[in-house]
Amino acid sequence: MTEPWMIAGAWLAAGLTIFLFSFLYRDNPFFKIAEHLYLGAGMGWWFQVYMFNIWKPKVWEPLMAHQWGVIIPAVLGLSLVTQFIPKISWLSRYGFTFLMGYGAGLAVPAGLSTDFMNQIAGTIRPFSALASMTPFAIFNSLLIALGVVCVLFYFFFSVEHKGSVKKVSNVGIYFLMVYFGAAFGNTVMARFSLLYGRFDDLASFSSRGSFYATQIILAVMVLYFLVTGFTKKPQQGEEEAH
Amino acid sequence: MKEKLEKFFKIDRRWIFLLLAVVLFVPILKPLGLPNKTISRDTQNAFNYLDKLPAGSFVLFSLDYDPSTRPELQPQAIAAIRHAFKKNLRVAVVTYIAGSTGLIQQIFEKLPAEYGKVNGTDYAIFPYMANATAVMTQMASDFYGIYDKDQDGRDAKSLPVMKGVKTYKDMAMVVNITGTSMLDFWVAYVGDKYKVPVVGGVTAISQPGYGPYLQTGQLKGLIGGMKGAAEYESLVKEPGKGTSGIDALNLAHLLVLGLILTSNIILLVIRYL
Repeated sequence: MTEPWMIAGAWLAAGLTIFLFSFLYRDNPFFKIAEHLYLGAGMGWWFQVYMFNIWKPKVWEPLMAHQWGVIIPAVLGLSLVTQFIPKISWLSRYGFTFLMGYGAGLAVPAGLSTDFMNQIAGTIRPFSALASMTPFAIFNSLLIALGVVCVLFYFFFSVEHKGSVKKVSNVGIYFLMVYFGAAFGNTVMARFSLLYGRFDDLASFSSRGSFYATQIILAVMVLYFLVTGFTKKPQQGEEEAH
Repeated sequence: MKEKLEKFFKIDRRWIFLLLAVVLFVPILKPLGLPNKTISRDTQNAFNYLDKLPAGSFVLFSLDYDPSTRPELQPQAIAAIRHAFKKNLRVAVVTYIAGSTGLIQQIFEKLPAEYGKVNGTDYAIFPYMANATAVMTQMASDFYGIYDKDQDGRDAKSLPVMKGVKTYKDMAMVVNITGTSMLDFWVAYVGDKYKVPVVGGVTAISQPGYGPYLQTGQLKGLIGGMKGAAEYESLVKEPGKGTSGIDALNLAHLLVLGLILTSNIILLVIRYL
Protein backbone atom coordinates (compact mmCIF):
# COMPACT_ATOMS: atom_id res chain seq x y z
CA MET A 1 0.00 0.00 0.00
CA THR A 2 1.46 3.34 -1.07
CA GLU A 3 1.62 5.98 1.63
CA PRO A 4 -0.92 8.82 1.25
CA TRP A 5 1.79 11.51 1.04
CA MET A 6 3.44 9.61 -1.81
CA ILE A 7 0.10 9.48 -3.68
CA ALA A 8 -0.43 13.19 -3.08
CA GLY A 9 3.11 13.84 -4.33
CA ALA A 10 2.47 11.80 -7.47
CA TRP A 11 -0.74 13.73 -8.21
CA LEU A 12 1.00 17.05 -7.61
CA ALA A 13 4.00 16.17 -9.78
CA ALA A 14 1.92 14.65 -12.59
CA GLY A 15 -0.55 17.56 -12.46
CA LEU A 16 2.09 20.29 -12.56
CA THR A 17 4.00 18.55 -15.37
CA ILE A 18 0.88 18.16 -17.52
CA PHE A 19 -0.32 21.68 -16.73
CA LEU A 20 3.01 23.15 -17.85
CA PHE A 21 3.18 21.00 -20.98
CA SER A 22 -0.39 22.02 -21.84
CA PHE A 23 0.96 25.40 -22.97
CA LEU A 24 2.39 23.64 -26.01
CA TYR A 25 -1.20 23.23 -27.15
CA ARG A 26 -2.69 26.50 -25.97
CA ASP A 27 -2.46 29.01 -23.12
CA ASN A 28 -4.89 28.04 -20.36
CA PRO A 29 -5.68 28.68 -16.68
CA PHE A 30 -4.06 25.40 -15.57
CA PHE A 31 -0.76 26.51 -17.09
CA LYS A 32 -1.09 29.86 -15.32
CA ILE A 33 -1.70 28.12 -11.97
CA ALA A 34 1.41 25.96 -12.43
CA GLU A 35 3.48 28.94 -13.55
CA HIS A 36 2.54 31.03 -10.51
CA LEU A 37 2.98 28.09 -8.16
CA TYR A 38 6.46 27.57 -9.56
CA LEU A 39 7.43 31.16 -8.85
CA GLY A 40 5.95 31.09 -5.34
CA ALA A 41 7.41 27.71 -4.45
CA GLY A 42 10.80 28.80 -5.81
CA MET A 43 10.83 31.89 -3.61
CA GLY A 44 9.80 29.84 -0.57
CA TRP A 45 12.44 27.21 -1.30
CA TRP A 46 15.28 29.74 -1.52
CA PHE A 47 14.08 31.55 1.60
CA GLN A 48 14.27 28.36 3.67
CA VAL A 49 17.65 27.46 2.09
CA TYR A 50 19.11 30.80 3.13
CA MET A 51 17.52 30.64 6.57
CA PHE A 52 18.26 27.06 7.56
CA ASN A 53 21.33 26.17 5.49
CA ILE A 54 23.24 29.42 5.66
CA TRP A 55 22.03 31.88 8.28
CA LYS A 56 21.31 29.36 11.04
CA PRO A 57 24.46 27.16 10.85
CA LYS A 58 26.87 29.88 9.73
CA VAL A 59 25.70 32.87 11.80
CA TRP A 60 23.13 32.04 14.49
CA GLU A 61 24.64 28.84 15.89
CA PRO A 62 28.23 30.17 16.09
CA LEU A 63 26.92 33.30 17.84
CA MET A 64 25.03 31.17 20.33
CA ALA A 65 28.29 29.30 20.93
CA HIS A 66 29.99 32.66 21.64
CA GLN A 67 32.13 32.56 18.49
CA TRP A 68 32.15 36.30 18.05
CA GLY A 69 34.42 36.22 14.98
CA VAL A 70 31.42 35.56 12.72
CA ILE A 71 30.16 39.07 13.47
CA ILE A 72 32.69 40.54 11.00
CA PRO A 73 31.55 38.60 7.89
CA ALA A 74 27.91 38.88 9.04
CA VAL A 75 28.17 42.68 9.28
CA LEU A 76 29.93 42.85 5.90
CA GLY A 77 27.11 40.75 4.44
CA LEU A 78 24.44 42.91 6.06
CA SER A 79 26.12 46.02 4.66
CA LEU A 80 25.06 44.88 1.17
CA VAL A 81 21.41 45.27 2.20
CA THR A 82 21.95 48.97 2.95
CA GLN A 83 21.74 49.58 -0.80
CA PHE A 84 17.97 49.71 -0.31
CA ILE A 85 18.30 52.64 2.13
CA PRO A 86 19.75 55.58 0.11
CA LYS A 87 20.97 57.53 3.18
CA ILE A 88 23.33 54.80 4.34
CA SER A 89 23.84 52.98 1.04
CA TRP A 90 27.54 53.97 1.11
CA LEU A 91 28.01 51.26 3.73
CA SER A 92 27.43 48.61 1.07
CA ARG A 93 30.76 49.57 -0.51
CA TYR A 94 32.61 47.82 2.31
CA GLY A 95 30.81 44.56 1.63
CA PHE A 96 31.33 44.86 -2.12
CA THR A 97 35.00 45.78 -1.67
CA PHE A 98 35.54 42.62 0.32
CA LEU A 99 33.62 40.52 -2.22
CA MET A 100 35.53 41.96 -5.16
CA GLY A 101 38.92 41.62 -3.53
CA TYR A 102 38.23 38.09 -2.38
CA GLY A 103 36.68 37.06 -5.72
CA ALA A 104 39.42 38.57 -7.85
CA GLY A 105 42.17 37.15 -5.67
CA LEU A 106 40.65 33.70 -5.98
CA ALA A 107 39.63 33.79 -9.63
CA VAL A 108 42.47 35.61 -11.41
CA PRO A 109 45.42 33.31 -10.57
CA ALA A 110 43.30 30.17 -10.98
CA GLY A 111 41.83 31.41 -14.26
CA LEU A 112 45.23 32.41 -15.64
CA SER A 113 46.72 29.06 -14.78
CA THR A 114 43.79 26.80 -15.72
CA ASP A 115 42.26 28.51 -18.72
CA PHE A 116 45.25 30.35 -20.14
CA MET A 117 48.68 28.87 -19.39
CA ASN A 118 47.57 25.25 -19.29
CA GLN A 119 45.62 25.62 -22.55
CA ILE A 120 48.60 27.18 -24.35
CA ALA A 121 50.82 24.41 -23.00
CA GLY A 122 48.24 21.79 -24.03
CA THR A 123 48.24 23.10 -27.59
CA ILE A 124 52.04 23.22 -27.89
CA ARG A 125 53.06 20.17 -25.84
CA PRO A 126 52.19 17.50 -28.47
CA PHE A 127 54.77 19.02 -30.85
CA SER A 128 57.56 18.08 -28.46
CA ALA A 129 56.63 14.42 -28.79
CA LEU A 130 55.88 14.09 -32.50
CA ALA A 131 58.32 11.18 -32.95
CA SER A 132 56.35 8.98 -30.57
CA MET A 133 52.92 9.92 -31.92
CA THR A 134 50.73 8.07 -34.43
CA PRO A 135 49.99 9.86 -37.73
CA PHE A 136 46.40 10.40 -36.60
CA ALA A 137 47.53 11.98 -33.30
CA ILE A 138 49.92 14.26 -35.21
CA PHE A 139 47.10 15.29 -37.55
CA ASN A 140 44.88 15.91 -34.53
CA SER A 141 47.48 18.12 -32.84
CA LEU A 142 48.05 20.10 -36.02
CA LEU A 143 44.31 20.56 -36.47
CA ILE A 144 43.92 21.84 -32.90
CA ALA A 145 46.84 24.25 -33.28
CA LEU A 146 45.48 25.47 -36.62
CA GLY A 147 42.02 25.93 -35.08
CA VAL A 148 43.41 27.91 -32.14
CA VAL A 149 45.41 30.25 -34.39
CA CYS A 150 42.57 30.81 -36.88
CA VAL A 151 39.93 31.45 -34.20
CA LEU A 152 42.27 33.85 -32.39
CA PHE A 153 42.70 35.72 -35.67
CA TYR A 154 38.91 35.95 -36.01
CA PHE A 155 38.72 37.62 -32.58
CA PHE A 156 41.67 39.95 -33.21
CA PHE A 157 40.13 43.29 -34.15
CA SER A 158 43.15 45.61 -34.14
CA VAL A 159 44.09 44.64 -37.69
CA GLU A 160 41.63 45.11 -40.54
CA HIS A 161 40.33 41.76 -41.74
CA LYS A 162 41.42 41.79 -45.38
CA GLY A 163 43.81 39.81 -47.56
CA SER A 164 45.51 36.87 -45.85
CA VAL A 165 44.20 37.93 -42.40
CA LYS A 166 40.65 37.64 -43.72
CA LYS A 167 41.37 34.20 -45.17
CA VAL A 168 42.78 32.94 -41.88
CA SER A 169 39.89 34.42 -39.86
CA ASN A 170 37.43 32.85 -42.33
CA VAL A 171 38.96 29.45 -41.59
CA GLY A 172 38.44 30.35 -37.92
CA ILE A 173 34.73 30.83 -38.62
CA TYR A 174 34.52 27.25 -39.93
CA PHE A 175 36.14 25.94 -36.75
CA LEU A 176 33.63 27.95 -34.71
CA MET A 177 30.76 26.64 -36.80
CA VAL A 178 31.85 23.04 -36.18
CA TYR A 179 31.87 23.79 -32.44
CA PHE A 180 28.44 25.45 -32.57
CA GLY A 181 27.07 22.51 -34.55
CA ALA A 182 28.38 20.01 -32.01
CA ALA A 183 27.07 22.15 -29.15
CA PHE A 184 23.63 22.46 -30.78
CA GLY A 185 23.45 18.70 -31.45
CA ASN A 186 24.29 18.05 -27.81
CA THR A 187 21.70 20.62 -26.71
CA VAL A 188 19.00 18.81 -28.70
CA MET A 189 20.04 15.50 -27.12
CA ALA A 190 20.00 17.06 -23.64
CA ARG A 191 16.50 18.50 -24.15
CA PHE A 192 15.20 15.12 -25.32
CA SER A 193 16.78 13.50 -22.26
CA LEU A 194 14.99 15.95 -19.97
CA LEU A 195 11.69 15.40 -21.77
CA TYR A 196 12.19 11.66 -21.56
CA GLY A 197 12.81 12.09 -17.82
CA ARG A 198 9.46 13.83 -17.33
CA PHE A 199 7.67 11.22 -19.44
CA ASP A 200 9.32 8.46 -17.45
CA ASP A 201 7.98 10.04 -14.26
CA LEU A 202 4.53 10.47 -15.82
CA ALA A 203 4.59 6.77 -16.71
CA SER A 204 5.43 5.85 -13.12
CA PHE A 205 2.59 8.10 -11.85
CA SER A 206 0.18 6.25 -14.14
CA SER A 207 0.32 3.11 -11.98
CA ARG A 208 -2.44 1.80 -9.78
CA GLY A 209 -0.37 2.75 -6.70
CA SER A 210 -0.63 6.41 -7.72
CA PHE A 211 -4.37 6.04 -8.41
CA TYR A 212 -3.79 6.59 -12.15
CA ALA A 213 -2.80 10.22 -11.60
CA THR A 214 -1.39 10.73 -15.12
CA GLN A 215 -4.35 9.28 -17.00
CA ILE A 216 -6.98 11.11 -14.96
CA ILE A 217 -5.27 14.52 -15.12
CA LEU A 218 -4.55 14.09 -18.83
CA ALA A 219 -8.19 13.13 -19.47
CA VAL A 220 -9.39 16.20 -17.55
CA MET A 221 -7.08 18.44 -19.58
CA VAL A 222 -8.25 16.96 -22.89
CA LEU A 223 -11.86 17.39 -21.79
CA TYR A 224 -11.14 21.02 -20.86
CA PHE A 225 -9.65 21.75 -24.28
CA LEU A 226 -12.54 19.99 -26.04
CA VAL A 227 -15.18 21.91 -24.11
CA THR A 228 -13.46 25.29 -24.40
CA GLY A 229 -12.62 24.59 -28.05
CA PHE A 230 -16.34 24.26 -28.85
CA THR A 231 -17.69 26.94 -26.56
CA LYS A 232 -15.06 29.68 -26.30
CA LYS A 233 -13.66 31.92 -29.00
CA PRO A 234 -9.91 32.64 -28.64
CA GLN A 235 -9.53 35.87 -26.66
CA GLN A 236 -7.22 38.68 -27.51
CA GLY A 237 -3.81 38.25 -25.93
CA GLU A 238 -4.25 34.51 -25.48
CA GLU A 239 -1.12 32.84 -26.72
CA GLU A 240 -0.87 29.73 -28.79
CA ALA A 241 2.11 27.51 -29.32
CA HIS A 242 2.12 27.76 -33.11
CA MET B 1 2.52 20.12 -57.00
CA LYS B 2 4.54 23.03 -55.63
CA GLU B 3 1.55 24.41 -53.71
CA LYS B 4 0.94 21.02 -52.17
CA LEU B 5 4.57 20.70 -51.10
CA GLU B 6 4.61 24.25 -49.71
CA LYS B 7 1.81 23.24 -47.35
CA PHE B 8 4.38 21.07 -45.56
CA PHE B 9 6.12 24.19 -44.29
CA LYS B 10 2.89 25.60 -42.92
CA ILE B 11 2.13 22.51 -40.88
CA ASP B 12 0.89 23.27 -37.36
CA ARG B 13 3.98 22.64 -35.20
CA ARG B 14 1.78 21.06 -32.54
CA TRP B 15 1.64 17.95 -34.74
CA ILE B 16 5.42 17.72 -34.42
CA PHE B 17 5.16 18.13 -30.63
CA LEU B 18 2.64 15.29 -30.58
CA LEU B 19 4.81 13.09 -32.79
CA LEU B 20 7.82 13.73 -30.56
CA ALA B 21 5.78 12.96 -27.44
CA VAL B 22 4.64 9.64 -28.96
CA VAL B 23 8.17 8.76 -30.06
CA LEU B 24 9.54 9.43 -26.57
CA PHE B 25 6.67 7.78 -24.72
CA VAL B 26 6.40 4.51 -26.68
CA PRO B 27 9.77 3.08 -25.53
CA ILE B 28 8.75 3.72 -21.91
CA LEU B 29 5.62 1.63 -22.32
CA LYS B 30 7.28 -0.98 -24.52
CA PRO B 31 11.12 -0.98 -24.41
CA LEU B 32 12.65 -1.77 -27.79
CA GLY B 33 16.07 -2.74 -26.43
CA LEU B 34 18.04 -0.81 -29.05
CA PRO B 35 21.72 -1.39 -28.32
CA ASN B 36 24.15 1.23 -27.09
CA LYS B 37 27.23 -0.14 -28.82
CA THR B 38 29.71 2.70 -28.74
CA ILE B 39 31.56 3.71 -25.58
CA SER B 40 33.13 7.13 -25.94
CA ARG B 41 36.82 7.61 -25.10
CA ASP B 42 36.08 10.09 -22.31
CA THR B 43 33.57 7.84 -20.51
CA GLN B 44 35.96 4.91 -20.87
CA ASN B 45 38.75 7.04 -19.34
CA ALA B 46 36.50 8.05 -16.43
CA PHE B 47 35.67 4.40 -15.83
CA ASN B 48 39.32 3.28 -16.12
CA TYR B 49 40.51 5.92 -13.68
CA LEU B 50 38.06 4.83 -10.99
CA ASP B 51 38.59 1.17 -11.81
CA LYS B 52 42.35 1.33 -11.27
CA LEU B 53 42.07 2.69 -7.73
CA PRO B 54 43.01 0.13 -5.06
CA ALA B 55 40.28 -0.98 -2.64
CA GLY B 56 39.95 1.34 0.34
CA SER B 57 40.94 4.47 -1.62
CA PHE B 58 39.03 7.59 -0.67
CA VAL B 59 36.90 9.15 -3.40
CA LEU B 60 35.10 12.45 -2.94
CA PHE B 61 31.85 12.72 -4.89
CA SER B 62 30.54 16.22 -5.43
CA LEU B 63 26.97 15.83 -6.65
CA ASP B 64 25.83 19.27 -7.77
CA TYR B 65 22.62 19.03 -9.74
CA ASP B 66 18.98 19.63 -8.98
CA PRO B 67 15.75 18.09 -10.31
CA SER B 68 15.94 20.13 -13.53
CA THR B 69 18.86 18.00 -14.79
CA ARG B 70 18.03 14.83 -12.90
CA PRO B 71 17.20 12.64 -15.95
CA GLU B 72 20.72 13.08 -17.31
CA LEU B 73 22.80 13.29 -14.16
CA GLN B 74 21.15 11.01 -11.60
CA PRO B 75 21.86 7.87 -13.72
CA GLN B 76 25.49 9.01 -14.05
CA ALA B 77 25.81 9.45 -10.28
CA ILE B 78 24.17 6.09 -9.58
CA ALA B 79 26.44 4.28 -12.05
CA ALA B 80 29.61 5.91 -10.70
CA ILE B 81 28.68 5.24 -7.06
CA ARG B 82 27.80 1.63 -7.92
CA HIS B 83 31.25 1.33 -9.46
CA ALA B 84 32.90 2.78 -6.34
CA PHE B 85 30.97 0.40 -4.08
CA LYS B 86 31.83 -2.58 -6.30
CA LYS B 87 35.51 -1.66 -6.05
CA ASN B 88 35.21 -1.28 -2.25
CA LEU B 89 36.30 2.34 -2.36
CA ARG B 90 35.53 4.72 0.50
CA VAL B 91 32.96 7.27 -0.62
CA ALA B 92 32.18 10.73 0.72
CA VAL B 93 29.48 12.89 -0.81
CA VAL B 94 29.35 16.67 -0.71
CA THR B 95 27.10 19.13 -2.52
CA TYR B 96 27.04 22.84 -3.25
CA ILE B 97 23.57 22.89 -4.79
CA ALA B 98 20.76 22.94 -2.25
CA GLY B 99 18.40 21.09 -4.60
CA SER B 100 20.76 18.10 -4.67
CA THR B 101 20.14 17.01 -1.10
CA GLY B 102 16.88 15.17 -1.83
CA LEU B 103 18.34 13.47 -4.89
CA ILE B 104 21.41 12.32 -2.94
CA GLN B 105 19.09 10.93 -0.27
CA GLN B 106 17.17 9.08 -3.01
CA ILE B 107 20.39 7.40 -4.21
CA PHE B 108 21.58 6.37 -0.77
CA GLU B 109 18.20 5.03 0.40
CA LYS B 110 18.68 1.86 -1.64
CA LEU B 111 22.12 1.64 -3.22
CA PRO B 112 24.37 0.97 -0.17
CA ALA B 113 22.17 -1.92 0.98
CA GLU B 114 22.67 -3.68 -2.38
CA TYR B 115 26.42 -3.79 -1.72
CA GLY B 116 26.26 -4.23 2.07
CA LYS B 117 27.73 -0.77 2.68
CA VAL B 118 27.25 0.99 6.01
CA ASN B 119 26.77 4.72 6.53
CA GLY B 120 29.78 6.11 8.38
CA THR B 121 31.93 3.02 7.81
CA ASP B 122 31.94 2.74 4.02
CA TYR B 123 30.43 6.04 3.01
CA ALA B 124 29.52 9.43 4.44
CA ILE B 125 27.17 12.16 3.27
CA PHE B 126 27.91 15.75 4.20
CA PRO B 127 25.39 18.59 4.35
CA TYR B 128 24.89 21.27 1.70
CA MET B 129 27.34 24.16 1.87
CA ALA B 130 26.99 27.55 0.27
CA ASN B 131 29.86 29.33 -1.52
CA ALA B 132 31.53 26.41 -3.26
CA THR B 133 34.84 28.12 -4.04
CA ALA B 134 35.41 29.14 -0.42
CA VAL B 135 34.63 25.61 0.74
CA MET B 136 36.92 24.05 -1.89
CA THR B 137 39.77 26.34 -0.87
CA GLN B 138 39.24 25.65 2.83
CA MET B 139 39.18 21.88 2.30
CA ALA B 140 42.75 22.10 1.02
CA SER B 141 43.99 22.91 4.50
CA ASP B 142 41.48 21.08 6.68
CA PHE B 143 38.42 19.13 5.53
CA TYR B 144 36.96 19.23 9.04
CA GLY B 145 37.26 22.99 9.25
CA ILE B 146 34.25 23.01 6.95
CA TYR B 147 32.62 19.63 7.52
CA ASP B 148 32.85 19.04 11.27
CA LYS B 149 29.68 16.94 11.21
CA ASP B 150 28.11 14.65 8.62
CA GLN B 151 24.51 14.95 7.44
CA ASP B 152 23.26 12.99 10.46
CA GLY B 153 25.09 15.24 12.92
CA ARG B 154 27.86 12.74 13.76
CA ASP B 155 31.40 13.95 14.40
CA ALA B 156 32.98 13.69 10.93
CA LYS B 157 36.54 13.13 12.15
CA SER B 158 35.61 10.04 14.13
CA LEU B 159 33.80 8.29 11.26
CA PRO B 160 35.70 5.15 10.14
CA VAL B 161 35.23 6.11 6.48
CA MET B 162 37.16 9.35 7.08
CA LYS B 163 40.16 7.67 8.72
CA GLY B 164 43.40 9.26 7.52
CA VAL B 165 41.61 11.90 5.44
CA LYS B 166 42.37 15.53 6.23
CA THR B 167 43.15 17.34 2.99
CA TYR B 168 43.06 16.75 -0.76
CA LYS B 169 46.37 14.90 -0.68
CA ASP B 170 44.59 12.11 1.22
CA MET B 171 42.00 11.71 -1.53
CA ALA B 172 42.51 9.41 -4.51
CA MET B 173 40.21 11.39 -6.77
CA VAL B 174 37.26 13.76 -7.02
CA VAL B 175 34.19 12.91 -9.07
CA ASN B 176 32.01 15.91 -9.80
CA ILE B 177 28.63 15.34 -11.40
CA THR B 178 27.01 18.66 -12.11
CA GLY B 179 24.48 20.59 -14.14
CA THR B 180 26.27 23.85 -13.29
CA SER B 181 29.77 25.24 -13.86
CA MET B 182 30.96 23.58 -10.65
CA LEU B 183 33.28 21.31 -12.63
CA ASP B 184 35.25 24.38 -13.77
CA PHE B 185 35.81 25.24 -10.10
CA TRP B 186 36.92 21.71 -9.23
CA VAL B 187 39.42 21.76 -12.10
CA ALA B 188 40.75 25.27 -11.36
CA TYR B 189 40.73 25.38 -7.56
CA VAL B 190 41.40 21.74 -6.73
CA GLY B 191 42.56 19.60 -9.67
CA ASP B 192 45.17 21.97 -11.08
CA LYS B 193 46.22 23.53 -7.78
CA TYR B 194 46.50 20.48 -5.56
CA LYS B 195 47.12 17.85 -8.26
CA VAL B 196 44.00 15.84 -7.40
CA PRO B 197 42.65 13.79 -10.33
CA VAL B 198 39.23 15.14 -11.29
CA VAL B 199 36.60 13.24 -13.28
CA GLY B 200 33.42 14.95 -14.40
CA GLY B 201 29.84 14.12 -15.26
CA VAL B 202 27.93 16.86 -17.04
CA THR B 203 24.82 17.49 -19.12
CA ALA B 204 25.08 16.93 -22.86
CA ILE B 205 24.77 20.72 -23.34
CA SER B 206 27.95 21.42 -21.36
CA GLN B 207 29.89 18.44 -22.71
CA PRO B 208 31.60 20.06 -25.77
CA GLY B 209 32.88 22.92 -23.61
CA TYR B 210 35.05 20.57 -21.55
CA GLY B 211 37.05 19.34 -24.58
CA PRO B 212 40.02 21.63 -23.80
CA TYR B 213 40.33 20.32 -20.22
CA LEU B 214 40.26 16.74 -21.49
CA GLN B 215 42.88 17.43 -24.15
CA THR B 216 45.29 18.86 -21.57
CA GLY B 217 44.61 16.13 -19.03
CA GLN B 218 43.18 18.60 -16.50
CA LEU B 219 40.12 16.35 -16.55
CA LYS B 220 40.85 12.63 -16.44
CA GLY B 221 37.52 11.61 -17.92
CA LEU B 222 34.06 12.92 -18.66
CA ILE B 223 30.60 11.40 -18.66
CA GLY B 224 28.30 13.40 -20.93
CA GLY B 225 24.52 13.42 -20.74
CA MET B 226 22.19 10.45 -20.77
CA LYS B 227 24.32 8.80 -23.44
CA GLY B 228 27.33 8.97 -21.12
CA ALA B 229 25.22 7.54 -18.29
CA ALA B 230 24.19 4.62 -20.52
CA GLU B 231 27.83 4.05 -21.45
CA TYR B 232 28.94 4.02 -17.82
CA GLU B 233 26.07 1.69 -16.90
CA SER B 234 27.17 -0.76 -19.57
CA LEU B 235 30.79 -0.53 -18.34
CA VAL B 236 29.75 -1.38 -14.77
CA LYS B 237 27.28 -3.92 -16.19
CA GLU B 238 24.34 -2.42 -14.29
CA PRO B 239 21.71 -1.18 -16.77
CA GLY B 240 19.62 1.64 -15.32
CA LYS B 241 17.69 4.72 -16.37
CA GLY B 242 20.45 5.81 -18.75
CA THR B 243 20.30 2.58 -20.71
CA SER B 244 16.50 2.57 -20.87
CA GLY B 245 16.58 6.15 -22.14
CA ILE B 246 18.68 5.19 -25.16
CA ASP B 247 15.63 3.77 -26.98
CA ALA B 248 13.81 7.07 -26.64
CA LEU B 249 16.86 9.14 -27.59
CA ASN B 250 17.54 7.00 -30.67
CA LEU B 251 13.96 7.29 -31.89
CA ALA B 252 13.77 11.02 -31.20
CA HIS B 253 17.03 11.63 -33.09
CA LEU B 254 15.74 9.55 -36.01
CA LEU B 255 12.59 11.67 -36.04
CA VAL B 256 14.61 14.90 -36.10
CA LEU B 257 16.88 13.58 -38.84
CA GLY B 258 13.83 12.47 -40.83
CA LEU B 259 12.19 15.89 -40.48
CA ILE B 260 15.39 17.76 -41.44
CA LEU B 261 15.93 15.53 -44.48
CA THR B 262 12.28 15.68 -45.58
CA SER B 263 12.05 19.45 -45.30
CA ASN B 264 15.36 19.96 -47.13
CA ILE B 265 14.37 17.62 -49.95
CA ILE B 266 10.99 19.36 -50.29
CA LEU B 267 12.75 22.74 -50.31
CA LEU B 268 15.10 21.58 -53.08
CA VAL B 269 12.18 20.20 -55.11
CA ILE B 270 10.24 23.47 -54.74
CA ARG B 271 13.25 25.57 -55.70
CA TYR B 272 14.75 23.61 -58.58
CA LEU B 273 12.04 21.43 -60.11
